[in-house]
Amino acid sequence: MSCNSSVTHVQLSTLGKAERTTVHLMPCEIEHNGPAQVSQYFSATTKDRKQDKTVSFRGRGLQGAELSCPQGYTGLVLKEVNPNSSDQEDRTVKVSSMFDKLTYWNLETPPNSDDMVVMAMDWPELAEAIHGAVED
Amino acid sequence: MDLGDFEADNSVSCRLTSEIPDICKSEDCCLGIDEAGRGPVLGPMVYGICFCPVSRKEQLKDLKVADSKTLTEAERENLFQNISNAKDFVGWALQILSPNTISTSMLQRSKYNLNALSHDAAIGLVQFALDSGVQLKEVFVDTVGPAEKYEEKLSQRFPGLEVTVRPKADSLFPIVSAASICAKVARDHAVKGWSFREDLGEVDTDWGSGYPGDPKTKAWLLKYQDPVFGYPQFVRFSWSTAKNLMDSKGAAVYWDDDEEDGEKAAARQKNTSMLSFCHRPTGTTAQGAAHQSHRFFTERRLQGLGAL
Amino acid sequence: MATKKKRTPNSKNSSWVAITAESAIDTDKDGDPAFLTLRNPTTDAASLYLFSSGDLQPYEVKAFTEDCHSWLIGQTVQRDGRLLYITPMDPLYLMLPYLVKAAKEGKFQPLDQVVMDEEFPACSRLLSCARSLSSVHLVAEEKEVGGRKFHRYSQEKTMQWLSKKVDRTVTALKRSNISVGEGVKSRTYVRVKTESDTNDEDYLRYAHGLVSEYIDEDLSKALRKHLQLPEPTSPKETEPPTKKRKLSELPVEAGEDFSKFNSSDFARKPPKKMTLAQKTLAKVDKSGMKTMSAFFSPKVKAERK
Repeated sequence: MSCNSSVTHVQLSTLGKAERTTVHLMPCEIEHNGPAQVSQYFSATTKDRKQDKTVSFRGRGLQGAELSCPQGYTGLVLKEVNPNSSDQEDRTVKVSSMFDKLTYWNLETPPNSDDMVVMAMDWPELAEAIHGAVED
Repeated sequence: MDLGDFEADNSVSCRLTSEIPDICKSEDCCLGIDEAGRGPVLGPMVYGICFCPVSRKEQLKDLKVADSKTLTEAERENLFQNISNAKDFVGWALQILSPNTISTSMLQRSKYNLNALSHDAAIGLVQFALDSGVQLKEVFVDTVGPAEKYEEKLSQRFPGLEVTVRPKADSLFPIVSAASICAKVARDHAVKGWSFREDLGEVDTDWGSGYPGDPKTKAWLLKYQDPVFGYPQFVRFSWSTAKNLMDSKGAAVYWDDDEEDGEKAAARQKNTSMLSFCHRPTGTTAQGAAHQSHRFFTERRLQGLGAL
Repeated sequence: MATKKKRTPNSKNSSWVAITAESAIDTDKDGDPAFLTLRNPTTDAASLYLFSSGDLQPYEVKAFTEDCHSWLIGQTVQRDGRLLYITPMDPLYLMLPYLVKAAKEGKFQPLDQVVMDEEFPACSRLLSCARSLSSVHLVAEEKEVGGRKFHRYSQEKTMQWLSKKVDRTVTALKRSNISVGEGVKSRTYVRVKTESDTNDEDYLRYAHGLVSEYIDEDLSKALRKHLQLPEPTSPKETEPPTKKRKLSELPVEAGEDFSKFNSSDFARKPPKKMTLAQKTLAKVDKSGMKTMSAFFSPKVKAERK
């Protein structure tokens, strides 16, 4: 099976050039891939109260919170280098940007520790327990 | 009129009030309610109340207040000045509902329609007058939606008050006209002095009347439309004009509470079925092959990947 | 009313957001990390893994996936709202199925003849992982003849190794806020973790379940026996209700008449959406079963026995 033998290489040399960026996980699907005036419309109107943030998107009220990457982890945005090359070839991705915290947004609901994405952050620590080396 | 409080944050609802005349705290008073800027797709909607002692109703007529809609902007400014000058017996209060408040309320998960929003603003203002010690007896309201229902609602909410809800109340009762002037002046000022929070550089203010039917307004909406974010918060996203322009020119956006059509419902069905399947206990099928993820993963929406 | 929107499928992704173990992108080593597909030790299906530079260490790739999500990244939008997690993986889990299969022949063999897979040729890269070679003795007996190493799978050693895995996991669970009790079955309920209603068996069972994500069903059963865990109780008790969260989340700040709506009206006639959801529920399960069983083809598993 050819698909099982294909490899996607990560160009590690791009890591040094990757800039820190802000990332927002939105509670809606936006049918778009590409440039957007995030700072002009979104960041400029975001209100930062003590812990919670509020903003609106397309006329809907959002409430958000920051979430840090777990210790020993870093956020990467990977981008395919030649996205339109044929399926047979190996693919290559580069590190286009990095982040150490993300902001996730809920539709109207205040962020809390039961939010899915907060719970998902439990995974790396538990993975370390399941996959770390055991002593003889 | 000083809109400083609203302009400090024009994305929320804001209340502005005059001093409460002492005489209103000792004598029976009448109160008028009206709104400004219900129809436009741009800018805030303003709710206003005006109140004075019942005994001074005639004097109110001398202020020459009349239905604000028949007046020019300059005339309204003058009349608001007259009202301000009569501060020894006339008080007012305003609730400015920002376009962002209107959008997010009307587009809320549990829809909060414009009538309910208006009614709540009016009720809040009457309550404010009562809380400030105004000896309210009579309340006159320009209609929003069916007059009888609204009258019943207000009478129930304020049992001690004599409530009259009428269409065109702003031309029938001077105290409603006065409220109408206060509201309209605030709306004019808010629109004129709108400070855009978005980083848009110099914004063209030639948006016409702000009514959806105005070609200038429509042209302005198109000019300031962003394919991803829509519009500045100056625009009421919940207005069909704004929505339709977005649907035809902007990137489609899907929310988990969107009305479902057949296709999406089917997709969701499939999705739910995957989840409910995953929650099932490990059944030993004939081949013993099917594997279900542990609930740690299903509860956190974590899945393995077959390919990038 | 605006016309109904039709969601077009997000056909091909070319951008991903990933929370990645820093060790996976260590630039001190030669060569680039690579994503490859290997046989999933539990499902036999093709699964994605990342190998760090020089194949030092494999990493598992999981995706946090919620419907209706997208990313804003700097000054761009990424429609695909998944969040990938790239976490270190113990290579032994990936090698174990091959060792178990070779054990049928009962003899000691060199690893490079054992960890071979026509369907997943990349599996030989597991042998380049330093960790694989230094820890394979935890699941296999080792013999050295003429400077060459030979291995034979040992169920006994494997059980020891897996119990240690479970122990480590129990310790991590106890440190965390993860609720492991059978009493809490759904996120629609408030998670309250009290010491009294979570006992050691709950932790052990939960940890066994997690480790079983990386071993096949036979090993999972053997491990359960080894840990002296009772068989799972009746299916009903382990099946959490699959409620939808959003219905319980109506914001209450809306004002005036909403309290009325929420209580009496709500109870009298459920809102349209709920009926819709209920209506679709019956069909839902059946179609799901079909999809899932078709997805996890049993053929390789049978061959192994």
